[in-house]
Amino acid sequence: MRFIGMVRYTLNETLRKGTLLFYAAIGFIIVLFFAFGLSRSPSSPNAIMIFGRQFTESPSESISIIDFFLVMLHRQASSSMLLFGVFGVAGLIPSLLEKGTIEIFLSKPLNRSLLLFARSLGATLAIAMNIIGFTFAVWLVIGLRLGDWNWGFLWSGFLSAYSFACFFSIITFIGLTTRSTGISVMLAFMFALISTGLELRETGLYLLWENGLYHRMLDVLYYCTPQLEGMSRSATAMIAALPISTFPTQFQVAPFVFSLASSIGWYGLSAWYFSRQDF
Amino acid sequence: MKAVSLTGISKTYTIGALARRKVEALKGVDLSVEPGQIFGLLGPNGAGKTTLVKIILGIVHPSQGNGVVLNHPIGSTTMLERCGYLPENHRFPLFLTARDTLLFFGRLSGINELSLKHKIDSLLDLVGLKDWKRVRIKRFSKGMLQRLGLAQALINDPQILFLDEPTDGVDPIGRKEIRDILIDLKKQGKTIFLNSHMLSEVESISDRVAILNKGEIVKIGTVEEITRAGKEFLVHVDPTVSIELLERVLQELPSARRENSSFVIPANDLKELNRSIDILRSHRIMIVSVTSVRSTLEESFIQLIKSETAQ
Repeated sequence: MRFIGMVRYTLNETLRKGTLLFYAAIGFIIVLFFAFGLSRSPSSPNAIMIFGRQFTESPSESISIIDFFLVMLHRQASSSMLLFGVFGVAGLIPSLLEKGTIEIFLSKPLNRSLLLFARSLGATLAIAMNIIGFTFAVWLVIGLRLGDWNWGFLWSGFLSAYSFACFFSIITFIGLTTRSTGISVMLAFMFALISTGLELRETGLYLLWENGLYHRMLDVLYYCTPQLEGMSRSATAMIAALPISTFPTQFQVAPFVFSLASSIGWYGLSAWYFSRQDF
Repeated sequence: MKAVSLTGISKTYTIGALARRKVEALKGVDLSVEPGQIFGLLGPNGAGKTTLVKIILGIVHPSQGNGVVLNHPIGSTTMLERCGYLPENHRFPLFLTARDTLLFFGRLSGINELSLKHKIDSLLDLVGLKDWKRVRIKRFSKGMLQRLGLAQALINDPQILFLDEPTDGVDPIGRKEIRDILIDLKKQGKTIFLNSHMLSEVESISDRVAILNKGEIVKIGTVEEITRAGKEFLVHVDPTVSIELLERVLQELPSARRENSSFVIPANDLKELNRSIDILRSHRIMIVSVTSVRSTLEESFIQLIKSETAQ
């Protein structure tokens, strides 16, 4: 009851701020755009029309234009979610810790770890509602308009929400330690960038310095933090197998498992840190 | 069973990232509060009053010492279920209405939804915010927010209430109303732990008072015990006595002071007082009356803090 009360409150607070409602409105406009403008080309079964303009180009013969379109949409939606989601919810932890607020919360009979977890869950649910809602609406419109019911795309919405939940474990820790919304947003973005770099470390960061210790350090960093890019690429494979060597051709569970483990670790660290703090 | 019992509570803060400086906020505080009392905690700014309350509620961790509240360890969940707290300069979520605020904090206190709705109405009525129930609190004045804070602290029907500057920003009528609420709560058997700068307020409603200075309890007792500490007597003499004579006598009473045709004579006991009166009488000065001067809590407080600072 207390835990659910805190989750409900956080959801309410997030929605009242309006940022996520604004994102939802933009998502709705995009869905309307597809609903009214998207159709199959009458001249070619492998082409789609967007407001009368025909698109036939797919990077490979192995992937249809619709699947390629859905993959691109998923990649855009998941990276936008990380970008805009951070703006929407990164301030939730610092705002909880504000003087005059935290004292009231801590005087209530709710364990500090549960309080923190409820706050994080509320923030994640707010983002999840946005991304799952958007994915479902786009999936429905594309299914109805083009007759292509790509279940992998539908699932990618849930996987993106899962990915954000893992990401929020880092945001929580940053928010707790810095107690500043601005710094939290900045560091969260930096982490998202680093995460992409770490995913491509073998073809990128490794080449910067041929040192074994440096490589191992990158590996440790990769496995100790949520693998945002890895999860996004793996979710892509559920929609269609991209003919790109760095993208998996099949769904891989490993990034999700490692991200879950590291997120539990980060939440645990945050809970430990929070329990030792004086306010 | 004591309402609050603290033993050797100390708190040392480490300040600065590089040059780590230690600041002792509390130094071995021992304190006990009887159930059903209004207990006032006084002290100058930075004395450690808020830190002490926060330690009791588990918001700040003590460096040393321990304590119990209603037989539950300080800061424990079972203890918090029986406590209400109004912090100083509290901030409620501005997007909520008065009703929603109480609903949320009621839920957080574990109260079931059905009884909560009845409770909210009666509490808003009690603190005079019934007509503001559905108004967003961003439109509330400081005084209204204090009243709402008090209602929030009472939402779980606590056995003990910790109030940090409850009348801060409240107008005189509102202050009187809050005082009446506190007296009424005391009549219901609740214990009230009051942190306040309003000494007259503490004096008028507290059963016991403790004065905290530089992290140490320097005085504890009933208001009467504290205000009696500096015992003085006002000796009115015949107003026709010349000022020259009064001044001459005053030189023989070095600790006394003259106020027109009266002497304020400090004396720890009757013998000491009578010795001074004997000096007056030896000059054939007629005594009109002798009354005990009781200082106000504010005067006693200032005197005590000054003497502590001088030491």
